[in-house]
Amino acid sequence: MANTAKSGAMSDKNKTSARIIRYSPFYVMFTPVLIILILFYYLPILGLRWSLYKFNPFIPEPVYIGFENFMTLFKSARFWAAFSNTLVLSIVNLCLSMIFSVGIALLINEIGHALAKKFVQTVIYLPHFLSWVVVAGIFALILSVEGQTGGFVNTILIKLHLIDEPVYWLTEKKAWRLIWYIANRWKETGWGTIIFLAAVTGISPDLYEAAEIDGAGKLKQVWYITIPSLMETILVVFILNLAKVMNVFESVFVMYNEMVYDVSDVIQTYTYRVGLQGGANYGYSTAVGIFKSVISLILVSAANYTSGKIRGRGII
Amino acid sequence: MKKNIILKAATVAVALMMASSFLTACGSEQGAAAINDLPLDDTCVDGVAKPEKIIMMVDTFMKVENREVGGKDVVCEEYKKKTGIDLEIEMPSHNQYYEKVNLSFASGNVPNVIELGSTYYPNYSAYGALWDMTDAYESSTAPMKSIIDEQFVDALRIGDEGNKRLYGFPMARGNGTITYVRGDWMKELGISDPKNYDDFINMLEKFKTIEDCYAPLTVAGFINSESPYNQYLKEFYWDADPHFYYDDNEKKYVDGMSQPAMKDALKRLRDAYEKGLIDRQAVTNSTADCRNKFNTGHAGCFNYWAGAWNKTLEQNMSNLTKKGNEDVVKPLAPIVETQYVERPPTAMSITSKTKNPLGVYKYLIEYSHDGGEGQMLFTHGVEGENNGKEKTGHWKNENGKIVALPYFSSENLVEKVYYSPELTITEWNDPIEADHEVVNSSKIFRENSYMVPVPKTSDEMSDALPELDTVRKEVISKIVTGVTGIDDGIKEYETRAAEEIEIILNALNS
Amino acid sequence: MRQKFSFRKEYRGRTIFVILNTVFFIFIMACMLIPVIKVLVDSLDANPAYGMNFWPTQFTLDAYIIILSKTELYLPFLISIQNTLLGTFVGLAIACIGAYILIQKEMPGVRLFSYMFMFTMIFNGGLLPTYLVVRDLGLLNTCWSVVLTIAMNVYNLVLMRNFFEQIPASLFEAAEIDGCSPFGIFIKIVLPLSKPALASIGLFYAVAAWSEYFHYVLYITDNNKFNFQVKLRSLILDGESLSGDYAVNVETIKNASIIVAILPFMFIYPFCQRYFISGVTMGAVKE
Repeated sequence: MANTAKSGAMSDKNKTSARIIRYSPFYVMFTPVLIILILFYYLPILGLRWSLYKFNPFIPEPVYIGFENFMTLFKSARFWAAFSNTLVLSIVNLCLSMIFSVGIALLINEIGHALAKKFVQTVIYLPHFLSWVVVAGIFALILSVEGQTGGFVNTILIKLHLIDEPVYWLTEKKAWRLIWYIANRWKETGWGTIIFLAAVTGISPDLYEAAEIDGAGKLKQVWYITIPSLMETILVVFILNLAKVMNVFESVFVMYNEMVYDVSDVIQTYTYRVGLQGGANYGYSTAVGIFKSVISLILVSAANYTSGKIRGRGII
Repeated sequence: MKKNIILKAATVAVALMMASSFLTACGSEQGAAAINDLPLDDTCVDGVAKPEKIIMMVDTFMKVENREVGGKDVVCEEYKKKTGIDLEIEMPSHNQYYEKVNLSFASGNVPNVIELGSTYYPNYSAYGALWDMTDAYESSTAPMKSIIDEQFVDALRIGDEGNKRLYGFPMARGNGTITYVRGDWMKELGISDPKNYDDFINMLEKFKTIEDCYAPLTVAGFINSESPYNQYLKEFYWDADPHFYYDDNEKKYVDGMSQPAMKDALKRLRDAYEKGLIDRQAVTNSTADCRNKFNTGHAGCFNYWAGAWNKTLEQNMSNLTKKGNEDVVKPLAPIVETQYVERPPTAMSITSKTKNPLGVYKYLIEYSHDGGEGQMLFTHGVEGENNGKEKTGHWKNENGKIVALPYFSSENLVEKVYYSPELTITEWNDPIEADHEVVNSSKIFRENSYMVPVPKTSDEMSDALPELDTVRKEVISKIVTGVTGIDDGIKEYETRAAEEIEIILNALNS
Repeated sequence: MRQKFSFRKEYRGRTIFVILNTVFFIFIMACMLIPVIKVLVDSLDANPAYGMNFWPTQFTLDAYIIILSKTELYLPFLISIQNTLLGTFVGLAIACIGAYILIQKEMPGVRLFSYMFMFTMIFNGGLLPTYLVVRDLGLLNTCWSVVLTIAMNVYNLVLMRNFFEQIPASLFEAAEIDGCSPFGIFIKIVLPLSKPALASIGLFYAVAAWSEYFHYVLYITDNNKFNFQVKLRSLILDGESLSGDYAVNVETIKNASIIVAILPFMFIYPFCQRYFISGVTMGAVKE
């Protein structure tokens, strides 16, 4: 028994070394990528230890303070409010983005005229190239309360007799999130279709031909062929984006104001305000970073696990 | 196959890139070491060794677009010619200035001289990042000592009463904001300069009748984001200060938000907002929005920086409305209820890691305020030519009269290289004549303003302040826009920020 | 496969769909275009109004002439182009090689590499430690500080891997039997079959490199090495940085700069699109 186990291990070992030799060209190819990965990502990651230190630019040596940075963070009521805002805003936004981008990609795919298709694509990518500052300016203009009947939105709502006088929408707690979702969709939906369009073009025409021979209508073809073929890409994009949900910053920063802090303040804007005047507290900001990473890790792992349960494999 | 070649090239390129990055890495480490290890020159003046190289990190150096006239390189060359010292000027982008200063301290490549606004200056000195220049200043016999206006130096002395120390030298006056109105509208409506609050409100009400006037008075937010917190709305705040200040009667620091004067101020703001006299979009306005509304005739009144900005607003206005040669942008004296506020001067500090701080003090700071060639260089730049082909300098001597050159300066407006000429802290004969509008608005401002002290600070305070600022800003906006009542709002502030208020008051009064 | 446009019974559903779809996209495009048109109009207007207008009150091209003629604006533009090309190239090389390694399921260590990539997507050392590495490599004030720090993008790498995975294994086996080296397979099979992926992910890299702002202000202090976005930001945020030197309104220049920042993609995009369409043939080699 012991003997066979040993020889088994031996042959495994041999197999591994044989495999390593077989794959040696791959390792050579991979080396430059690995070097960049280590230099720019793994060396800086050593800096995570600073979350346990009191560390600002002026202290000659960082002072070990245990979990005090985390405690300061967790003690603040505003931080927890910001945390829940972050989750709500970015997860709702992520779900909306998946629905809209996939839907529009499918509809674009149905445009028969090649030139029209090109034109539509080019136009809906445009807003992506405007910076958030500019987008915020455009939305402020549309939602303005200035002049007789205010901006575009107020004028229309007054004409429809839904409101009597212009409403200062950007400071309305009930409206702010909706405005933010719309601004995000306006700016990024078109851009989000790119990856799905690329995936759609990758689906074999044979599949559709076979379905047509079977007498499946267009709608059935979309439902039974296109969407299942896209599922892999949809899941990958969803899970990858889930890793970024804690990082929402600029879009909120340029659109929020003190009247709507309750519904708009996210972790990044909160720490930005705290960091702005409190000096450069690198220990504290590293602690915030770790907190965000842990939450992302939980979200991504959960999604990956669920995807594994349902589809037999996760994306990672 | 074409692709094949491209990909091979890619692989080679990545490999080369890696190799070259390692090679250059070695070179730069030597460079970094050299910064912290300045060798001293043999030549001495006043027994002070001359530094060989000075590295400055600045925020407000000449505007970027002027660098094609030679800009900072010409200035550095000229400085080297005059003093023999290599001057290196780092100019991070304005929005990231303090982030970069912090980064330079954290990474150990500390510049010798940095520029610090009054919000940051006391913090940096408390951390021991700045060299104490008190003795150097007091024992100095340089020509600067006889022409300097001491009140600005004194404004930067911080610490305990009786032993205040100087960690930075004033670059120029701190300046402040003044209220500009549309002079042509006033003439049209037959309004004379408002003397008191009622006049002022009256004026705004008349502005409201003008077609397309969205906001008689435009402003970005009801409270400024740093000290002085009330500067943009002095006509409404009067003497109420929403920040902590030293109360002479009670002989201790108090929280301005809890004072009776604040309630009156909030009431005035609230009434004016309700009547549509203050910009309805004040909460979401950026400063650029305000300038834009004022310039395009959608606002009648706008509080902004005195001095050079008067000229810029005037120019923008005449470009837009084609109303030149008229007093369209008119600076107002404050109403009797209040005065304008002047910020403490911006500090030029020598970092404590500098090897020869006294040398830097003598050869850079004193030299640049000498009332002669040094001050000329740091204020107006270099003598030279700029005739479209040749661009070698910022000013020239035209038959005995010194004039600023076009490109660097638009007609009549004399711009600064580093120190604004109209904000000088020394008494010197500036050979370049200043623009009358700039002089005029500066004069009105100076005659009607008082200077606020450098804010007192401590570690606990800087930790507590951001949270307090957030609550205060939220509450003030809610009160003024009518979402909350005045008393309810103040109570909300006092409850939600109770902990921070206590920390700050304890720190201030200890 | 084009259907006939007709209201005859067998085509009716399809025709109604085409009409609705057309109306829908016209609406969507109007929503997307109107604000961009406003920016365009304001860039051509000597006195842009505060508010919405769809025709310049006073037509002028001066803002564009200034951008083309002033070194302070066109030099950053050239730098943007250079670094975008470089960044896209390096980024794509890394994503392709990384993805190619990750699909070698039998390769010892491939799980480890996979986790190494994923880990960096979630955890990072933060601003200061990265800055110190960049400084110690001597990359401060060089274009590499920006190009290399944005080159490794796990998001793009995983998408690329996903595309590569769809290539049928039989093709690899056949090529291997023919005596093709791993690098040869990469070049001759993987890349040509992934044109839509290369085009779309290349576009992602290009746009990210083009819009990069933060890394420039972080790693670069030399004013002559900033890109167009940095310049654009200071125009929009500070407003004051362009003074009365120009006889042209600052607002006009601002809007023109926004348009100029979009323009390159109006030219690049149709080029990428060719590959999206040619990608259809990829299906033909599938199992």
